[in-house]
Amino acid sequence: MEPLVPTPRDARRPFFGHFRRLVRRVVFFSSALLANLAACFWMGDLFWRMGFQREHFLLLAVFFVLNGLLVLGSFHALFGAFDILCARRRAVRITRLADGQTFALTQRFAIVMPVYNEDCVRVCARIEAIFLSIQATGQLAAFDFFILSDTRDLNLWVLEETAWTNLCRRLDAFGRIYYRRRKSNENRKAGNIGDFVRSWGGSYEGMLVLDADSLMDGADILKMARVMQLYPRLGILQTPPRLIHGASVFTRLQQFAMRLYGPLFLHGLNFWQLDGGSYWGHNALIRLQPFSECCELPALPGHEPFGGRILSHDFVEAALMVRAGWEVWLAWDIAGTYEEAPPTLIDHLKRDRRWCQGNLQHLWLIFARKLPFAARVQLFMGIMAYLACPIWFLFLLQSTWLAWDRRFSGLSNLTIPGNIGKWLHIDALTQSLILALAILVLLFLPKILALGGAILAPKVRRSFGGAFPLLAGVILETLVSMLLAPCVMVAHTVMVISIILGRSVGWDTQNRETDGTAWRDAVRFHALPTVLGLVWTAVAFRINPAFAAWMSPILLGLVLAIPVSVWTSRGRYGRALAARKILATPEELDPPEVIRLADAATAALDPALSATHEGRFGITAAVVDPYVNGVHVSLLEPARMSEPELDLAERCLSEGPHAMSDHDLTDLLYLAPAMLHMHRSVWLRPAESIHPLWTQAVESYRRRLEGSAS
Amino acid sequence: MGIPHHPLETLNPLNEAELNEWEEAYAAVEAYFQALRLRNRLLIAELVRRVLWRASSRKVNEPDKPARVLAMEETLAEISAWTQDVLAEPLENSRLAARGRLALLLTGMPDQWQSVFLTPPPWPGAFVAAMRSSYLAAGPNFAGLPMVAKPLELNAFGNSAALWWDTMDRRPIVRMMVVACVLAFLSAAVWFIFFD
Repeated sequence: MEPLVPTPRDARRPFFGHFRRLVRRVVFFSSALLANLAACFWMGDLFWRMGFQREHFLLLAVFFVLNGLLVLGSFHALFGAFDILCARRRAVRITRLADGQTFALTQRFAIVMPVYNEDCVRVCARIEAIFLSIQATGQLAAFDFFILSDTRDLNLWVLEETAWTNLCRRLDAFGRIYYRRRKSNENRKAGNIGDFVRSWGGSYEGMLVLDADSLMDGADILKMARVMQLYPRLGILQTPPRLIHGASVFTRLQQFAMRLYGPLFLHGLNFWQLDGGSYWGHNALIRLQPFSECCELPALPGHEPFGGRILSHDFVEAALMVRAGWEVWLAWDIAGTYEEAPPTLIDHLKRDRRWCQGNLQHLWLIFARKLPFAARVQLFMGIMAYLACPIWFLFLLQSTWLAWDRRFSGLSNLTIPGNIGKWLHIDALTQSLILALAILVLLFLPKILALGGAILAPKVRRSFGGAFPLLAGVILETLVSMLLAPCVMVAHTVMVISIILGRSVGWDTQNRETDGTAWRDAVRFHALPTVLGLVWTAVAFRINPAFAAWMSPILLGLVLAIPVSVWTSRGRYGRALAARKILATPEELDPPEVIRLADAATAALDPALSATHEGRFGITAAVVDPYVNGVHVSLLEPARMSEPELDLAERCLSEGPHAMSDHDLTDLLYLAPAMLHMHRSVWLRPAESIHPLWTQAVESYRRRLEGSAS
Repeated sequence: MGIPHHPLETLNPLNEAELNEWEEAYAAVEAYFQALRLRNRLLIAELVRRVLWRASSRKVNEPDKPARVLAMEETLAEISAWTQDVLAEPLENSRLAARGRLALLLTGMPDQWQSVFLTPPPWPGAFVAAMRSSYLAAGPNFAGLPMVAKPLELNAFGNSAALWWDTMDRRPIVRMMVVACVLAFLSAAVWFIFFD
């Protein structure tokens, strides 16, 4: 017998009380503020003992910001550890609403995957895995899938059409998996999703937004949908995606760190944000009605890079939902949610360039009216994620200047007793060492807590390959992160400066897989940090070898930026580490079913319908191949061909597609009669009357026949 | 199979140029069937022969048209007419060709129904049903939700900043002056803190 659908929770009754929420936030932020003030007081007192100069004011102000961010990060881990120790049943968990529920969904949901110049076979493999995974739950009828293409590469467009058609054929999913391409990719991903909502949003209660590299388990998707159905106040349910398929050292470092340390931060984040959470752009379920009412993003004052269209739309959409009274929760316990990471440091920094501009635009929203506290904090933390680096850079520069000044000014190094010295009876050196130790503890606290927790929990320890691989992984990750951090600092500083100078960013395709960074590219990209590191090292040695030793973690990272970037990009070193289970994650050692399904998925590939054959690739196949042409034309709107359009088609036939502008070629590919006319013509006309490219494509079928005969 | 009333003796003797011309026509038609992923050589040979017979009979009345053109016109016309019969739906000519080829693909003709291809009725019921139910849709029926951007409500500080920003955007001289003032202030601050 089918289980009864439970009555949804009373819409007036929040999942978590407002007073308790206030208490949690006060406890979290006041403790972080107190810790930061104590550190600043300690630092100020140390300056006082050394003889306070004007420079120290600025240094102290910068320290307040930097240390504040450090304390905030560490306290997330600390409160997260506390939350974990409180045990699962006491931690605040919105998905508790769907525990033990087995009812069939009565509302419908869309699973949308926006794509932009991606590898369509891999995109379809992920869709196939999610489809099969949901099918296994028996609730497939409640879900429709949408591949929302913003692809600008015309060859890839044709490849997407054929991959999707093959996928639907193999899964018998016509009318369940849809594909649509936007002619104009206005407002990028936010515009793509908005276009979906404006076209089909009314048919669904919610949409699960995925990225092109996202993968989610069907049972978890079903659980999220049940939570949304049962809790009418829920606007967005964000899951924490885990990184998978890391081949290079760089990606393996990222996925290991996120997998091991991530849960602490997620628990800590959930401790205070509760129903005022954030949306990270993908792997999240969004209720469509409020999304359509609140989340059409306004343009910001002025032009890009600070004004104009909002690039990082996700944070803002969550903020607008929370402002309108909807709840945004982090489903930290959803495990079957995955994504992939950029394979190299350079790819990572290129993506950061886009995110940096988007997050800096949020400065405007800090001053928006009626925005709740949690949303402002989320926006602020997003901005500071990129401003922290220039501030850190400034701090290091100031420190170097102070050391230089003290070395060559002839000032005495004798100290005077300060307040702390008097209270605790310690000298200035001890005081400075205690401060340094405290900062090191704050820096490494998340790693220590996560490593300790993992080693002490046998199940977790085994899932990472054992205690030794865990320990080796943490040590390697810590060392390489220390080397990478200064390089990232310089790159972020340059990004922020270039944005302030008014340089806007484009929309590059993400490189999701690579064989590694070439030395030439690394030299070109990391020349600035390397030169800076060499000069800085010389200055540091000139001041004092002890100062150079103190600065060595920074200087080494800058000087070695090029080799570290190249080394971490190599897949072969990543595979060597994987063979020894170092930097291994549970998903790598024992892949969940949905990852296995995605790895084995081949439905998008079928020789009966392919646009990847040598000699007839992409556009050529759309013209020459009877089936590819049939699929392409069937997806176009009916139209009539005018004389100029016929001339355009004739020019494409006689001069070949490479002679056409992108604009003209796009027009032709969108015109069904032109595509049919060209298909007919390449087969009818003698070789001398059309471009050799078409003749060779036609001949390629014949060669296949002759090849098979021989 | 084939058209038995066309014995080879009825062929007029062909000269070398004509042989080459018909060879090219043969190759084109054969390649088209190959492009439709027909795999059975006997079937392909038979279909090509049938098409070429029709083309050769047209050649008598249309001597100026190259054999390849005639043969391919016959091929496309025959496929189009046959598909229309199977689909039994009134589509305009230009769309029919694509619709027909799509239906052949989605039905799995190359793998399952080669023997039915271009044969006269009656056709197997399962084949006809599969052909008629084959279509592509980029999306379900439209059921949109309106999305209207609401203006960003800024507080007093934000409004002043937006006003300033807008002014600087519109007036490059003001922008230059502000930038110069900021730089001068920063330089003075650096001088005062570090060098004074």
